[in-house]
Amino acid sequence: MQVNDSNRNRRSIALLALGCLVLQLALAPNLALGNGRINFALVFAAYMALTIGGRTGVACGFLAGLAFDLCTTGPVGLMSLLLTVASFAMGMEERNRLAEDPSGSVVLFLLAAAATTLAYHLAMFLVGQASSLFDVLFLRTLPTLLLSAVAFLPFAYVGSRSSGSPLSLGGGSRGLHGRKGKGGGRFDLGSL
Amino acid sequence: MQLKGGGLKGAPGIRRNEPESGMRLMVALVALSLVMFTVSARESGGGFFTTLRGGFSTIAMPIRYLGSAVTVPFQGLGNVFANLTADQATLQELREQNEQLTTRNAELEEAEKTATRLQDLLALKSSYKLQSTAARIIAGSTDSWSRTVTIDKGSASGLAVGMPVTNSSGAIGQIIECGATSSTVRLVSDENSSVSAMVQSSRAQGILRGSPDGSLRLTLIATDQTVAVGDTVVTSGLGGVFPKGLPLGKVISVNKTEGALYYEIAVEGTGAAEGFEEVLVVTSLTEDQEATAEDIKAADEQDSSATAVAAEKAGSAKDGDAGTSADGSDAASSDGE
Repeated sequence: MQVNDSNRNRRSIALLALGCLVLQLALAPNLALGNGRINFALVFAAYMALTIGGRTGVACGFLAGLAFDLCTTGPVGLMSLLLTVASFAMGMEERNRLAEDPSGSVVLFLLAAAATTLAYHLAMFLVGQASSLFDVLFLRTLPTLLLSAVAFLPFAYVGSRSSGSPLSLGGGSRGLHGRKGKGGGRFDLGSL
Repeated sequence: MQLKGGGLKGAPGIRRNEPESGMRLMVALVALSLVMFTVSARESGGGFFTTLRGGFSTIAMPIRYLGSAVTVPFQGLGNVFANLTADQATLQELREQNEQLTTRNAELEEAEKTATRLQDLLALKSSYKLQSTAARIIAGSTDSWSRTVTIDKGSASGLAVGMPVTNSSGAIGQIIECGATSSTVRLVSDENSSVSAMVQSSRAQGILRGSPDGSLRLTLIATDQTVAVGDTVVTSGLGGVFPKGLPLGKVISVNKTEGALYYEIAVEGTGAAEGFEEVLVVTSLTEDQEATAEDIKAADEQDSSATAVAAEKAGSAKDGDAGTSADGSDAASSDGE
């Protein structure tokens, strides 16, 4: 079981959240594909869910979604709702899935990202923000998904190399699970 | 999905003390999100979330500014990559290129000084005698849903929601959210944007609307009006938001469908709103910048004319052959508008 309430972890989460917020505010507006832009809130929420999961993942998803909602001109609460659900779905197993099964995690992220992005844009379509479903699907959803998936890859790489604390890099440091690097035992009996 | 054991198959004795997958928290936060969504959607013009968003925008402004400043040099990155493939060029060609670039650089430096002077002139608000405040675009839209830009002035500088924004080419949009030190401007190319406009040469009045792909359409210009490709489209001043006569774009195509009451007119905007560009926010209108009584009368007459044509077509459709029902449907749709 992940132990994620240490001060170190909290600091790491805060730093990562701040980094993603900066990227969302500073980089996302300047990188566009069609009408699509990178959703760093989704990337952050997915990273947290896939490395820590559980309550922490859900809370991070909600807060990331709320920050995203406040960055945009859309209704507040929509992305936070979607990221809360997506984080719950991705982080149900409460393990550092990104380190143990990187390819499976990326696939899971893609599925969750597709569902979240599609649901968000469809919701915006239903509240009357667009008149064309084609525009919603192909000019907004698809480019956003593509860009967000590309943005997630570095996070997935870093996450897959992490050992011990899911928010830190290092090959041999003793982690919170007592694991030593990738491929080590998944559980520390002392923590069960 | 497995809740216990973390996927460690074959070790049933190993389990967690309490599987805290966050279900309760998730349900609580989903409920909270739904409440926020409902409250936020019902807010119009002001409220808790508008204030919260304004505060967030104020806090985020330095980061947006930084991002915009950092990415400016990378806007020409495409050229750098293109130049990497130039190793096939001869030395002579490169020397000639160098000379050309040196000359061009000198021109650009001169242009920069000119631009600085023009920016100063804009600050003096001389061009259109606008009562305005100069601001700078610091960021674009952060989502894929809207065409907006963020400017570095807000309510602390006297700006408010609804104020029109112009750049050196003409009107670019209208403030839709206003924080203390920054504001969000909805561009005219946003699909939710509509601006009262008129064709400068014929004075035909209509509405300039944005679209999802960023193109502009001039609607509600009756087919008995005169519009030609190349005509300049300007703000009409009707509605009292935009000053009268600000350029919006040029007509690039005019289509007239058989039996339709209005033209389908495509308009090319005056120019893109780019990062770090200086803009003017029009804080108030003088009397001569608002639509005159004659303008309003002309708009009414144009509308009456279109209505009369619609009624005439509807009448002829009723009296005439069944094959003319298409005209009747057109008339009905125009009434709906």
